[in-house]
Amino acid sequence: MSSAFQQEDEFKAKLDTGLWWKLFQRALHLKRFLVPLAIAAVAIALCDAAFAHVTRWTIDGVLRDGASASLAPYLAGYAVITIVLCVGVWVFIDCAGAISNHLSHDIRAASFDRLQELEFAFYDTRPVGWLITRLTSDCDRLARVIAWGFLDIVWGLTYLTMIAASLLVMNWRLGLIVISVVPPLALLSKYFQKKILLSAREIRKYNSQITASFNESIQGVRTTKTLVREAENLREFRTVSTQMFLAAVTNAKQSAIYYPLVMTIGSLGAGLALWRGGLLTASGEMSVGTLVAFINFAGQFFFPINQLANKLTEMQGAQAAGERVMGLLSTEPAIQDSPAVRQRVAEYERLRAAGGAVDVGLAADGRPATLRTVEFRNVGFRYSTGPQVLQDFSLTVQAGETIALVGPSGGGKSTLVSLVCRFYEPTAGSILVDGVDYRDRPLAWLQSQLGIVLQTPHLFKGTVRENIRYGRLTATDAEVEEAARRVNAHGFIEALEQGYDSQVGEGGNRLSTGQRQLISFARALLADPQIFVMDEATSSIDTETEQLIQKGLETIFAGRISFVIAHRLSTIRRATRILVISQGRIEEAGTHEELLRRRGHYYDLYTSQFRAERESSVLAGGA
Amino acid sequence: MSNPFTVLWNLMQGQRLRYGAALLCLVLATAANYLVPLVGAATIDHAIGNRPVAEASPLVAALLHAVGGAARLGEQLWLAPVLMVLLTAAGGACSYLKGRYTSLASDGIARRLKDDLYDHLNHLPARTLDRSDTGDLVQRCTSDVETTRQFLAVQVMEIGNALILAATALPLLLLLSPPMTLVAFALIPPLVIYGYVYFRKVRHVFKAVDEAEGALTSVIQENLTGIRVVRAFARQDFERTKFAGPNATFRDRNLRLLRLMSWYWSVSDLVALSQLGLVLLVGASWVGQGKLTVGVLFAFLAFLGIMLWPVRQMGRILTDLGKTSVAVGRIQEILGEQREADPVGAPPPPSGPLRGSIVVQNLHFAHARRPAAAASASRAPASAVAPTSADPGAANTEPAVDQPDALNGISFEVTPGETLAVLGPSGGGKSTLMHLLLRLYDYERGSIRLDGRELSSLPRSWVRGQFGTVMQEPFLFSKSLRDNIRLGRGDAPDREIEEAARAACIDDTIRTFEQGYETLIGERGITLSGGQRQRIAIARAILRNPPVLILDDALSAVDGETETLILDALKRRRGHSTTLVIAHRLSTLAHADRVIVLDHGRIIQMGTHEQLAASPGLYRRLWEIQTSVEADFQRELQTQ
Repeated sequence: MSSAFQQEDEFKAKLDTGLWWKLFQRALHLKRFLVPLAIAAVAIALCDAAFAHVTRWTIDGVLRDGASASLAPYLAGYAVITIVLCVGVWVFIDCAGAISNHLSHDIRAASFDRLQELEFAFYDTRPVGWLITRLTSDCDRLARVIAWGFLDIVWGLTYLTMIAASLLVMNWRLGLIVISVVPPLALLSKYFQKKILLSAREIRKYNSQITASFNESIQGVRTTKTLVREAENLREFRTVSTQMFLAAVTNAKQSAIYYPLVMTIGSLGAGLALWRGGLLTASGEMSVGTLVAFINFAGQFFFPINQLANKLTEMQGAQAAGERVMGLLSTEPAIQDSPAVRQRVAEYERLRAAGGAVDVGLAADGRPATLRTVEFRNVGFRYSTGPQVLQDFSLTVQAGETIALVGPSGGGKSTLVSLVCRFYEPTAGSILVDGVDYRDRPLAWLQSQLGIVLQTPHLFKGTVRENIRYGRLTATDAEVEEAARRVNAHGFIEALEQGYDSQVGEGGNRLSTGQRQLISFARALLADPQIFVMDEATSSIDTETEQLIQKGLETIFAGRISFVIAHRLSTIRRATRILVISQGRIEEAGTHEELLRRRGHYYDLYTSQFRAERESSVLAGGA
Repeated sequence: MSNPFTVLWNLMQGQRLRYGAALLCLVLATAANYLVPLVGAATIDHAIGNRPVAEASPLVAALLHAVGGAARLGEQLWLAPVLMVLLTAAGGACSYLKGRYTSLASDGIARRLKDDLYDHLNHLPARTLDRSDTGDLVQRCTSDVETTRQFLAVQVMEIGNALILAATALPLLLLLSPPMTLVAFALIPPLVIYGYVYFRKVRHVFKAVDEAEGALTSVIQENLTGIRVVRAFARQDFERTKFAGPNATFRDRNLRLLRLMSWYWSVSDLVALSQLGLVLLVGASWVGQGKLTVGVLFAFLAFLGIMLWPVRQMGRILTDLGKTSVAVGRIQEILGEQREADPVGAPPPPSGPLRGSIVVQNLHFAHARRPAAAASASRAPASAVAPTSADPGAANTEPAVDQPDALNGISFEVTPGETLAVLGPSGGGKSTLMHLLLRLYDYERGSIRLDGRELSSLPRSWVRGQFGTVMQEPFLFSKSLRDNIRLGRGDAPDREIEEAARAACIDDTIRTFEQGYETLIGERGITLSGGQRQRIAIARAILRNPPVLILDDALSAVDGETETLILDALKRRRGHSTTLVIAHRLSTLAHADRVIVLDHGRIIQMGTHEQLAASPGLYRRLWEIQTSVEADFQRELQTQ
């Protein structure tokens, strides 16, 4: 399913001006940069054009006045142009850079913002890597195309106009002849720019395959060696590296043809100017300076045309990125507060601001904040395109109860838990909290009442202390340590080199799974949730940590509604009710003893798990 | 570090002729580019302006002579533009050839480097690779090669171009007018020095931007991978604040860099334009005084137009040279690593099919001595920024064996066709033993004999060819399922592949995928579960049909029922295959003829089921679990 997103962005044949205007609008508030940028672009174009004119006047003046010619005015003209040009260059780099960076910063912030609210179903179909690319290179690329594209388009059009105007004013007949090279120049430029862009993309495609091959060859070294695949691997690699070589050579060939070709066409213009202009000069109808100016201008046409073609091509190439980012920004979260809920929250907010209501015990919508029961009422669920995962599922859980969910993977245990958390919503039936459909309560309130511990607990890069405090940001150090103590994490944390200030590494990778789990217990406990949800780790944990975890769990379960996807016998036994979930249904339900006596699914599961745990404990204990 | 020019020269080996041709074309293109303005100058001065040819500089005079004199040019003025266009086209053709040769040469070198690196990595000992950081190695093989390629494609020619321009322009301009030449070159050295000093100075700003980008990416990645935790604690606002900092830092550092760049380019523009202005001013006044012709002035201005751009780049190129020689150094560190070697002068391996007897005697293996691996020891500054993106292939990597367990003198025999199970706690030496058999590690003392031949005297590839290996976390390549199974035997027909899949109990699963056997695995395809991966690897091994089969905890993620099916299928098929099984489950051990128990690098028990079940030890304890489960239940139910 991810493959659809990994394709290289396709080249858009048609420029979607609406999309680009929408993107450009996001830069409009940067007037303090846009205005100077436009002025600089025009000024530079004018200077570029003025150069030829000053040269022309200088030559004509010198030829007319001979040795007595005063060079001061020309010198002044040249100096003015030089200074304007240099200031212009400074301003355009600075302003275009500012627009590009502010814009990418803003688009990125808006996208990040939106991602914080989007439902998990959105994440299910999009790999993290894909999203990261949207937020990093796509944002940068779009902002760059807009800022520098704006500059080049303003500059290019102005310069083009100035050259054409200069030629026509100096001698309109000759001007028209010289301008006749513009259409072929423009067409060729557009054609080649597109080809070059496409072959560059081809190179990138092969390059990422090569990177993947290198990765594979290192990570799969044992497999390669045991299968004696070295020569075969190299042969396959050579196919890709040769393809990349050919693409690179093609790309270079296109550039190598493009520039000489347009230069030759440009020289055709200059040649025409020299020939027809030379005749005019010889007959005294045109000054030598004007002739030189004509030749210079004719050779200059290429530059603005090249830039314009380049920017249009870049926009076509970046259009897919633009569509994706704008698409992300305009995606409305599928799970969010209903208008009715939002209204209730707003009303209660007003009431509170007026000092009319007592805060204690009320949630943001003015309803009781306590959560004593969770009820599934005929709940059905399916992921967007998938088969039915849950069907007509009913269950009521009271505060203080611990529900252990067991059963084969893919049976619907995780779905059930995600539904409790409202990461997904039922596609049929409803889930009620204290008798009210949870879609009628604020999402933020419900989720802030949850304590969640995932199978592979995710910790954020930072210290142990910061990670525990994530449960309640205002907690004091003493409270953080108290929470750690209550779940039995304090001991191992103190034993770490820097105690609570030890770094946990990316995703927590410097700690063992068991340690991560203990920290995530402390984090959950600190949040003091009314509903506790856990997906127990399956990987082996040493006996000592296992005991610590069990004691920690006892503390957490007390007085809460708990759902545990359980793998360990000790956890299962601790539950007040055990549900064997298979194919979206409750196969068996009851306490540990009841289910054992029944000698059904649970009995089978339990015995095989029991053997496995014993075996691994025997093996871990040594011979 | 050796001289960067020497390093580059060595790299160019095999492509030097092409570079020579490219430079020749460049010279010709440059010459044509020179002549174009000269044509204009001669035409304006002598054909249109009627200035006597005697006053012309020798070069212009020669040019006029070539077209049949000034008078003819004046009469047939169309000659001048035709000449101009022809010269530009000829120059263009040369510049095209230059581009072509350069690309063939530089992309060819890059391809050779990549091929060499790839081949070398495939032949490095597994332990060398275990010790190095994959991200760093891949970076060397890709971005360092790219840095080198760019230098070879662009900068080398720019240097050549600048040198040729300087070498040819100087005498030509001196021919036209020595004093003017002095004026025309007055500001060039400061321009080069300014660029060089500038780019050296801003290097740390570039690095700061890279770091900020890395920090930003890692914050985004942290947030997105932990999005469930973020939601679980409703911490969206906290995350927004956490993200705002790096986002702003990245922007601000970029702005700082751009501010510096705007100073660089505007000042260098000022210097370059001043140079042009100086020539224009001095030249015009000399023209006024009759010391210089307009044509020569025109030529000087045109020359400067050609030359100022490459000169402005020079400072930057010189700084890039430093960067490139670091990159080449990092590449050569990999190529300098020792490859797996085969014994020299050993007799050729037996040609017939192997019987499959293995005799291990007094086998020793010590812990790694941890020699400093070049590939990870000296990290150049360029790699100091650790790769921040998550490793996409993390779900499909072989477990890195950091520190193999020691073996302290073990001896056993496996007769052809026998199934031997190896049991023992982790860290006991089971995996090391398998690695030694496969010659992934080299044993130091003792002996391993395969059909009576000492393993260390045989070519590695031959030895490995006799084994079929399935590991606990098998590595699958990002190919189709069919091609992954086919890795076992390259010439196997589809029918046999599917048979092997059926025997490995994976055929049904494969058929549930939309694209069946053509389904791609990995980043661009689907993710398989651990059990599915193990079964694909089993199918691969079945297809290989080797004399010796090694199953290294290869069915740990497969449920018991399926495991039995697969093991039975293996038993039926193998017939003559000798099989070694590393197991953690009693159910797996049940299929073995004999069991050895390995702990702390020693064999502590060896025998058949009956023998081991009868004597106290690890095996019996495992065995007792089976019978004790029921009894335990009864006890538990009674006490509650």
